Amino acid sequence: MSTPLIRNERFVQIAAPLLVGVLVLLLWQISVMAFDVPKYLVPSPVDIAESLVKDFSSLFGALLMTLKVTFLAFVIAVVAGVAASLLFVQSKWIEVSLFPYAVLMQVTPVVAIAPLIIIWVDDTTWALTICAVIVAIFPIISNTTLGLRSVDPNLLSMFRMYRTSRWQELVRLRIPGALPYFFGGLRISSGLALIGAVVAEFVAGTGGAKAGLAYMILQSGYNLQIPKMFAALILITLTGIILFAAMVWMSDRALRNWHESALKVEH
Amino acid sequence: MTANKVIPLNAVPEAETETNVAEAGASSRPILQVEGVDKVYGNGTVALKGAGLTVKQGEFVSLLGPSGCGKSTLLRIMAGLGEVTTGTVKWWEQDYDVVGSKGRKLAFVFQNATLMPWARVRKNVRLPLDLEHVSSSESEKKVDDALEMVGLKGFDESFPRELSGGMQMRASIARAMVTEPDLLLMDEPFGALDEMTRNKLNDDVLKLRKENGWTIVFVTHSVYEAVYLSSRVVVMAARPGRIVDDIKIDKPYPRSPDFRISTEFAGYCRQVSQALERASGMGESKEDC
Repeated sequence: MSTPLIRNERFVQIAAPLLVGVLVLLLWQISVMAFDVPKYLVPSPVDIAESLVKDFSSLFGALLMTLKVTFLAFVIAVVAGVAASLLFVQSKWIEVSLFPYAVLMQVTPVVAIAPLIIIWVDDTTWALTICAVIVAIFPIISNTTLGLRSVDPNLLSMFRMYRTSRWQELVRLRIPGALPYFFGGLRISSGLALIGAVVAEFVAGTGGAKAGLAYMILQSGYNLQIPKMFAALILITLTGIILFAAMVWMSDRALRNWHESALKVEH
Repeated sequence: MTANKVIPLNAVPEAETETNVAEAGASSRPILQVEGVDKVYGNGTVALKGAGLTVKQGEFVSLLGPSGCGKSTLLRIMAGLGEVTTGTVKWWEQDYDVVGSKGRKLAFVFQNATLMPWARVRKNVRLPLDLEHVSSSESEKKVDDALEMVGLKGFDESFPRELSGGMQMRASIARAMVTEPDLLLMDEPFGALDEMTRNKLNDDVLKLRKENGWTIVFVTHSVYEAVYLSSRVVVMAARPGRIVDDIKIDKPYPRSPDFRISTEFAGYCRQVSQALERASGMGESKEDC
C-alpha cells in the first residue's frame, strides 16, 4: 500500500469515529476522577469495564436471554411480515381490509399492551417475543408491500403480453424488485426487535432464571450497582450495532451487482 | 436465428435489386387491422377517435405525431395491452387469441430499455423464452444468436447498468428477437438516445428487419427517423387522437445512409413535416412537437 493511511477511505471510516469515542471516554474518565464523582452517580469507564468482567457470568446469561427473544421475534416478524405482504399484493381488497390493522398494531405502544400479553401468555419467553414481534413487524410489512407493488409498469406489460401466470410474475418480477425495499425494512426491524424485547421485559419485570438484560438494569438500579447498569446498557447497544451491521452486510451482498444503494461509485 | 418466413425481401437477396416492400406489402395479407377504434379513459379523456389502420406483411409503418396524439396508446392497443372502448382490432384476421406461443408472435420494444436491473443481459434477453418454458439448450442458442445479431456478443454476463443507453436498447431489441416475432411493435425506442447512436440503431433495425422478415410498427416523433425507416408514415393529430394522413415512402430497401442526404429524402421530409404541421394545427417546430 503506497497511499498514506489518512487517504485510505476505509481506514478513515473506521479510525475517525473510533478516535472520537476514545476522546469522549478519556474526557469522561478524567472528569469523573477530577470532580471525584461517586460511583453510584456516574461510574467511570474503568468502573464499567471492571463490572463487565466481574459480573460477566450473570450479564452474559442475561444477554443470551435477550438475544433469544430478539432473534425469535425478528425471525417471526420477517416470516410473518413477508407472508402478509405477499397476501396483500394478491388483491387490493385484501390489502384494503387488513392494512389498517397492521397500522393499528404499529401505533399502539407496546408498553401499553405488554401487561395484557404477559397475563395471557404463560411462558415469559413467548410473551416477550410476541411483544417484540408487534414492534418489529410493521417495517417489514410496509416496506415489502411497497416493494412488491413498485414494479416497472412496462415490464409488467411485457409479462402480460407473454401471458405469464401470477406466480411467474411474482417470482421473476415482483420479488426480485422488492428486495431493496425488503432489506430496508430488515435494517429497521432488526433494531426494533431488540428494542421490543428490552421494553417488554421492563414491563414484565420478570426475574429469576429467565432474566434478560432489561431485568439486569432494573435490578442493578434497585441495588445502586450503577456500573453494572452501564455494563448491561453497553451490551444492549453492542447487540443493536452488530445486528444493524449484519443487515447492512446482507443487503450489500444481495444487491451489490445492481442496486444503487449497494453500488461502489468511483469519482 | 435464420428467418425462413416467405417474404419478398428474402427472395431477392441482391441489395440493389430489391423490390419495394411497401408495394409488395400491398398484395400481402393483412397482419393487423384496426377499425374505428375509440379509446376513452375513465376520466373522460378521449385518447383515440375513430382510428383505422391496416398493416400488411412486410410493411414498416411509422406512427408520427405531436405529444398526446395517442400514438403510444394505439401501439399498446395493437399489442393487445389495452382494451378498446369501441371498434375492433384483428391480428392475422383473427382475435387476439391467435397471438401467443402457439400462434403468431408479437414483440414489443419499449421507450426505455425496460430491462430487469437485477438480471444479467443474458437472463434479460432469455426472459420471453423462460416465460414460454422453452428448453434451456434451445433458448441458450437463440439468446447467443440474438446477442450476436444486435452486436452485444461478449456482454451477456454484464448487468444492464454497466451498458450505455444504446447498448441497453440493443439488449432490449435482442429480447424482442428471441421469440422470432412476426410483428414487432416499437414505442419510440430511440427517443432518449443521441443522434449518432440513433442513426446507427436505425440502420441496424433495417438490417435486422431484412434478416428476420419483421413487419414493424414504429412510434416516433422524429420526421427524419420516420422517413428514413418507413415504407409508410401515418401522421396523427391530438385532441382527440386521430389519424390524419398516410404517406407512402416510395424508396426501395435496403436504404443506406446516403438516402439521408439525398434530395428525395429531403422531399419526403418536407411532405411529412407539412402533414405534421397541418396535424398540429399550427406552425410548430418540425422535429419535436
